[in-house]
Amino acid sequence: MLWLYLHFPHLLLDHIRRDREDSRPLVIVEGSGQRVIQACPDARDQGVRAGMRLKTAINLVPELGMVRAQPEQEARILEDQARWLYRYAAHIVLVPPDGLLAEIGSLQKLYGGLPAVWQTVEQALNEHRLTAWIAIGHTPLAARLIARAGKGECTADKGHILRALENMPLVAAEFDGKTCTRLQRLGLNTLGEVFALPAPELARRLSPETLARIQKIQGTRPDPQTPWQPPHSFRQQADFIQEIEHTQGLLFPLQRMLSELEDDLCWRQQDTDSLHLILRHRHEEDTRLRIRTSGPEHRAEAFLNLIRLRLEQQPLRAPVVALVLSVKRFLGRETPTGQDLLGESQDLNEAWHTLMSRLQARLGEQSLKRLSPQADHRPERAWSASEVQQKHKTRLAAPEHLPRRPLWLLQGPQPLTEPPAAWFAGPERISGGWWDGQRVHRDYYIAQLQSGQLAWVFRDVREGWFIHGWFG
Amino acid sequence: MSELLNTLMQDARVWQGHRHRQTTQPSEPTGYQVLDNQLGGIGWPRGALSECLLDAPGIGELHLLLPLMQRLTQAGKTVFWLNPPHTPYAPALAREGVDLGQVVMIHTEDAGDFLWTLENCLRSPVTGLVLAWPGKLATREVRRLQLAAEAGSNVCVLFRERRYAEQNSPAALRLELTPGDNRDLKVNVIKRRGSWPGQRCSLAMAHRADLAFREAPRVVQGPWQHTQR
Repeated sequence: MLWLYLHFPHLLLDHIRRDREDSRPLVIVEGSGQRVIQACPDARDQGVRAGMRLKTAINLVPELGMVRAQPEQEARILEDQARWLYRYAAHIVLVPPDGLLAEIGSLQKLYGGLPAVWQTVEQALNEHRLTAWIAIGHTPLAARLIARAGKGECTADKGHILRALENMPLVAAEFDGKTCTRLQRLGLNTLGEVFALPAPELARRLSPETLARIQKIQGTRPDPQTPWQPPHSFRQQADFIQEIEHTQGLLFPLQRMLSELEDDLCWRQQDTDSLHLILRHRHEEDTRLRIRTSGPEHRAEAFLNLIRLRLEQQPLRAPVVALVLSVKRFLGRETPTGQDLLGESQDLNEAWHTLMSRLQARLGEQSLKRLSPQADHRPERAWSASEVQQKHKTRLAAPEHLPRRPLWLLQGPQPLTEPPAAWFAGPERISGGWWDGQRVHRDYYIAQLQSGQLAWVFRDVREGWFIHGWFG
Repeated sequence: MSELLNTLMQDARVWQGHRHRQTTQPSEPTGYQVLDNQLGGIGWPRGALSECLLDAPGIGELHLLLPLMQRLTQAGKTVFWLNPPHTPYAPALAREGVDLGQVVMIHTEDAGDFLWTLENCLRSPVTGLVLAWPGKLATREVRRLQLAAEAGSNVCVLFRERRYAEQNSPAALRLELTPGDNRDLKVNVIKRRGSWPGQRCSLAMAHRADLAFREAPRVVQGPWQHTQR
């Protein structure tokens, strides 16, 4: 087995930097806000170093941007990286806080050799604008140690890997502090000197755990790893150092997130029809937006248009400090059916969904209605309006058996204020609704009013005359 | 003076009525032979606005469009009802053979949304027909809609009040609708593109309430004489 280890020296920094449009120097500060943990290249050029006191750093670079590290955020970001790496390798292990381990021995044939695997991963890292130190090792620990030392090489040769390990100083081997001191007191300085010690002596004089660790590095003791499984949902978060006050500023990070969503959906071979967007504010409750498309969709551009429309309708309540995009609902891609040679029918279907989604995003979902008849005798209940969702065909069994009704139905019956000019047909008695308390007991007539309008009028039990519809 | 006129004629800067030729524009037949004849065999223009000017609903204005609606929905085109003044009654539409799966009713809150929605519907290739009740519209806005209609190839019918008949409008076809004596619908062509306006015709619309032409009323005499106010 061969293992590939990715060590991200400043993951949080990369995460924040890629959603920024300005390029001020940036540092990551530890939880208590005293010390600099990570510094971006710009800041390093001006003399800021990791481990420096924050005050010193600010004196060096007055316009320094700073972000406080949060453990749960780091874990989340690491998982984001695992998600894209999962496209290239099946067996992935998360090594918090800043490492990813992937089994690549089985991938050599697929990619056509170890250099190809290496190149693929490097290219993906570039695409995601991440800094990572890569190394290959014959055991997980060997790969990790070499990667963290920054001495990774593209080789599967065990001897070569072992030589690289043997030259490594003891401090880099990540023994716990006590063991490290004891080994140093024995006069050992490199890992190779420790490897040379006889195993039983090592276990007896130091501790069995130290031996186990050394054997795991060398590969003489198994080191099982539990593989990571990607979750069945999509979640992306962008954190901003400066609060964003205008919708325009949100569109830039959104574009990147949506294109990652598109990639993700393409890999899953799935579509979605609803996105959840959470805008985090500093002092107020989060704004939650639900963006719905009327049909399955996966293109980033289509989502972005909808979100832009939605944000135009709904201005920001407060400045935004973070943006979360999540998708929980996935739909299988449908094979286009009934497609002609030129693919026109499919195109129309898509155009229909695009139009409906656009309209719904701007006007609200309840503004668009689809009508359908209902089986009820009462005229006001014989129809219903439903929200427009999927395009579907509704076929009535026998529309010619429906009774003659006017094309216009008034919102509610209007009182008849003048005697009609002429009477044509009637009465048609409609009586019903005793079963649900909405009693209707009416005699309907067709009559022409003085103005020439043909009306559907009725007289109800209480002797009132009303207009209920127009024969338009 | 005649010199001036001659120059204008030679430069062809004045359009002369006798040189008028039949225009060919994409259109949909109305489904009423009489009206089609009056409109020069053209019908509803596609990719242009049409206006129906009428005082009150219930004179057969929807039946004027019903043949087109039936044809388009059955061909899989969508029919939009934008801000209808009353509810389009689903059972009646279904009875007339309109595929309700293709009918979408939209209500907008303000004029800005209305224009935006109408423009979007008109530009989409899925739309067959848009029926819109705009309320007040400035001439500039009608012009904007006309441009949007030209971008697509759909029929768009605006229903407006009859008092707008005197105002000019960029719409390609303008019809004034008034009720006739025998439940028929009188159509007066106020404007049509590429030809003279002024044609009048009357369309029999009595069938919209299942009434035969000149049929004696089938009303069972009842007690309503007393209760009429």
